[in-house]
Amino acid sequence: MTVPAVSTDMKAIKNKTRGVFNLEIDHMTGIVAEVEGSGIDTLEYNVTRFVHVLRHLGVRVSLAETMDAMAALARVDLLSRGQFRGALRSCLAKSNREAGIFNQAFDLFFTTPEEKLKRQRLRREMREEREKLISGAQQDLMGVMEDWQEELPEKIILTDMQLETYSLLPEEEKERMKEILERMKANPVNNPGELINRVLQSSLNYWRYYMMKNLNEKEGPRIAPEAELTGDEEMDEVIQGVAAELYHTPGDRIMHQDMESLADGDLPRVTAIINHISSQLALGMSRRYKRSSRPVAVDIRRTVRRNIKYGGIPLELKFRSRRKKRPNFLLICDVSASMARYARFVLQFIYGLGSAVKEIESFIFSENLERITPFFRQNKNFTGSMTEIVNSSKQWGKSTNLYQSLKSFKQLYGDKVNRETIVFVVSDTKTIAPVEAARQLENLRRKCGELIWLNTLPLSEWEKQPQIGAFRKTAAMYPCNTLSQLEKAVRRHVLGRV
Amino acid sequence: MNLSLIDLKKSMEREGYISEDDLAVTVYLALTLQKPLLVEGAPGVGKTEIAKVLGRVFDTEVIRLQCYEGLDENKALYEWNYQKQLLKIQIMKDACDRDDIEKDLFDEEYLLERPLLKAIRTEKTVVLLIDEVDKVDEPFEAFLFELLSDFQVSIPELGTLTARKIPIVVLTSNGDRDLSDGLKRRCVYLYIDYPDIEKEVRILQIKVPEAGERLRREVAAAVNFIRANLDLRKQPSIAESIDWARALMALDAEFLGADSISRTVNTLLKNRDDRMQLMNGNVLHQLMHKLNSTGLEEGDRDCPGCKHGHEGHKK
Repeated sequence: MTVPAVSTDMKAIKNKTRGVFNLEIDHMTGIVAEVEGSGIDTLEYNVTRFVHVLRHLGVRVSLAETMDAMAALARVDLLSRGQFRGALRSCLAKSNREAGIFNQAFDLFFTTPEEKLKRQRLRREMREEREKLISGAQQDLMGVMEDWQEELPEKIILTDMQLETYSLLPEEEKERMKEILERMKANPVNNPGELINRVLQSSLNYWRYYMMKNLNEKEGPRIAPEAELTGDEEMDEVIQGVAAELYHTPGDRIMHQDMESLADGDLPRVTAIINHISSQLALGMSRRYKRSSRPVAVDIRRTVRRNIKYGGIPLELKFRSRRKKRPNFLLICDVSASMARYARFVLQFIYGLGSAVKEIESFIFSENLERITPFFRQNKNFTGSMTEIVNSSKQWGKSTNLYQSLKSFKQLYGDKVNRETIVFVVSDTKTIAPVEAARQLENLRRKCGELIWLNTLPLSEWEKQPQIGAFRKTAAMYPCNTLSQLEKAVRRHVLGRV
Repeated sequence: MNLSLIDLKKSMEREGYISEDDLAVTVYLALTLQKPLLVEGAPGVGKTEIAKVLGRVFDTEVIRLQCYEGLDENKALYEWNYQKQLLKIQIMKDACDRDDIEKDLFDEEYLLERPLLKAIRTEKTVVLLIDEVDKVDEPFEAFLFELLSDFQVSIPELGTLTARKIPIVVLTSNGDRDLSDGLKRRCVYLYIDYPDIEKEVRILQIKVPEAGERLRREVAAAVNFIRANLDLRKQPSIAESIDWARALMALDAEFLGADSISRTVNTLLKNRDDRMQLMNGNVLHQLMHKLNSTGLEEGDRDCPGCKHGHEGHKK
């Protein structure tokens, strides 16, 4: 916190107070009053901003908790960094995960003015560097088109992100892109601006996706899924700093990385993590069946019989106990080209819960449906069964037709669903004939106990897919593109139900 | 609560609870802000022990509510003594007016206090331990809100009962399921992780004073190695490392070797697969190597798989 010089306003306040209350304000009190009056750099101001940072990192902090934090700070030695940190953490972070985010954010937020200045300088340099790259890319691309049509360059609209992607491309790719533009000059079309826009934008978007994917595979995801920026440069820097480091321990990274981008080298660890989580969940589920003796209603027959010895006065009550049946799981897994990898992990996860459920029926689909339950009944290990499925399946890696697949399911395996069945559909919702598929899904919903859709499309993209709205009317849909989300969905929905 | 932060830390240590500054600050804040303390962490890291230690520090009773699925108000808060009420009705049915009987029946005389009610009706500040709160159903969790925020409970027949003395409330959770935001918001939060080697040595020093310095260090280092490097079904808790040290003492072991580990590993790891993982020659060899490389004497340590003599560990 920096201390500003006393302004003329302060002198006016001094004079005023002296006149009214006949009080003399010493220099230090004056400075504190002025700083507090301005509301900037006070303890309250900084704590509030810090809370704001935490909220943007996915830590839910209520107003009551912020007030508790302020009350806690009044009870510790503010000059002790450890006590200051401990007081804030005990009131603002309410889980181990949140405590991890808190610690990282605290270190970045509550730092010395020198460090802040250093970071500001670095930020400015990076911004300038980026602007330079973008302007260079713009000049480069416009240079190709300046001798084409006069008004054409104005019609080329590329975002800063796309221009930045262009600047990061290898030289030969840049040249190739420019060559394509040159070739287009030779084939005049009606609306060249729109065509060039479309070609450039889709090519640059592809490259950005490709570069990000490579980066994710090498170093893990760059931004935490929950991290949202505030627009305030200083706070955003802390948010980005925390998000970049958040999931960098191997276990955390695997849990929060898109399953599709998990590297082959991670597979043994992924398998171990899935086994561990699913066995923990299965234990939790089976415990609940055993502990189902909660009284729900008086058992009249047993109560009367028990109290005959008291002359019919019901001194000892007997209760009916709640009985729970183990549910059946039925999996319908999309194994089209974009889904194959997710399907493998989800299947492994659900089969890990095998000991806690009555039965698991599984199907895979892309253009049509195939039953794969028999593969898992041959007492082979999971990897062996999966290899056999992939080798013998006609569906693996094709395009998606959920409508046809559900229709086949109804005709051939409709008797495998009853009110005890929890149906899991695992798919990114990208299917042909979505309206008809939604209708089939509705039919299925009427027959089963629960219908849960594990959607591997990131939550941020749901709005762009109109078919999702139709499916969500029928199925409880959960985002499921990371192991962490898969665990959360199963824990919340299935464990909560049994 | 007249203790300062430093006094609290010292008092806890005097009562056998080794606490870092972070832990002490959080407990201190829960006490001074008069808010419940929610403690989370893996099983066996000393969550419940905090409540017991606070009971000893403040020389007061610890009232424990052990949570489980299906726990309801009748078992946690109060219950009317149904049998006594029925008998009263039988005795008084001809003698009294019906309204008088009814009024009389819901008197405190027929009230059976359960832990929560007992904690707010005592004249002295007590420690209320709500153990394994993650095991209860969500409706019961919501029922706790009134007690945790206002230290009062509502009994329909008697009205609202406010705490005579605000109890020190400690809730523990193993993280079996996520607790509601409402519950967490009302509490000061503490997460206890497994201790580092130094802390575990100090714990062993207090709990197993008969063990020598070398054995204590080796047990702490070995348990730390196991937690960090093996992918176990169940990590060894502090209580289990204490048991292990005691078992080693019972066999007169002065340091760790393959033989003493294999004879006592049952007290540390309770799962067959976990034990087999540790007793794998390669893992055991790495453990011995670790013990030697951390500056602990090699002595006559036996190590399977060490084909280059004991000196090999030091390389």
